[in-house]
Amino acid sequence: MAKNVLLVDDSSTMRKIISRSLRQAGLDFGEIYEAGDGQEALAMLEKESIDIVLSDINMPNMNGIEFLREKGNRPAIKDIPVFMISTETGEDIIGEAKSLGAIGALKKPFTPDKVNEVLGPFM
Amino acid sequence: MNGTNSFSEINDKIIEATIEIFTGMVMMEISVGGEPLLTLGPLKNSITGMIGLAGIHKGVLAVHFPKQVALDVTSSFLGMEVSEIDADVQDAIGEIANILGGNLKTILSDRGKDIQLSLPSTIYGDQYAFTSQADVDQVILPFQAPSGMFYVEVELER
Repeated sequence: MAKNVLLVDDSSTMRKIISRSLRQAGLDFGEIYEAGDGQEALAMLEKESIDIVLSDINMPNMNGIEFLREKGNRPAIKDIPVFMISTETGEDIIGEAKSLGAIGALKKPFTPDKVNEVLGPFM
Repeated sequence: MNGTNSFSEINDKIIEATIEIFTGMVMMEISVGGEPLLTLGPLKNSITGMIGLAGIHKGVLAVHFPKQVALDVTSSFLGMEVSEIDADVQDAIGEIANILGGNLKTILSDRGKDIQLSLPSTIYGDQYAFTSQADVDQVILPFQAPSGMFYVEVELER
């Protein structure tokens, strides 16, 4: 069954680009929901039926690492997988994200082919 | 003025990242627009996206676009026509600075936590100057887009 996706990025441009790249990559997905930071993402996860989260790291209010940490404390949503899409791909930061439950990371910039290659197995 | 300084080691990687962003995400072909510069005059009818770096390397990365180039870049990036510098243009130009800043951070350090990025911001206007008050190493890389030149500027505290 097609998965519902939550895109978390403070840039509306980047949310559009990721959405477009998912379509161009030919991935099978259902609804796409959007959030501008970690706080909005937590609220969205508790309200909507979302199967996978694609999240930026460097965001205002609540960044991607804080979002992972807070999500892990909420039993109802803690098992929803999160994939990081960010310019922040240093090994320290990605290591911390993975220790908090992130299932992988995709570096910006990316192409639809790269999106297919990296995200395909999770979609 | 042609520039040769400590940035010569990272210029190629910044050029590579810029071209990758434009061809892979903005969907626009660009090329190197000449030799690196050390100064740029007042920016006229332009928009600048910038992001700060703190930690073991302190500085700023800025991307300067003349208005028409910024409109064309945003139109191509978003797949829709834009005719004025609005919130979409500011967000798109800020995001380009953000992605380039992230790449610069990786070029300077592959760890991650020893350099922190600010959130991106933009400025625009009929005429403004972009100058540093600190003692910095600086380089300005010119690029040729279909509708004109734009510039990627890096300043790092010595």
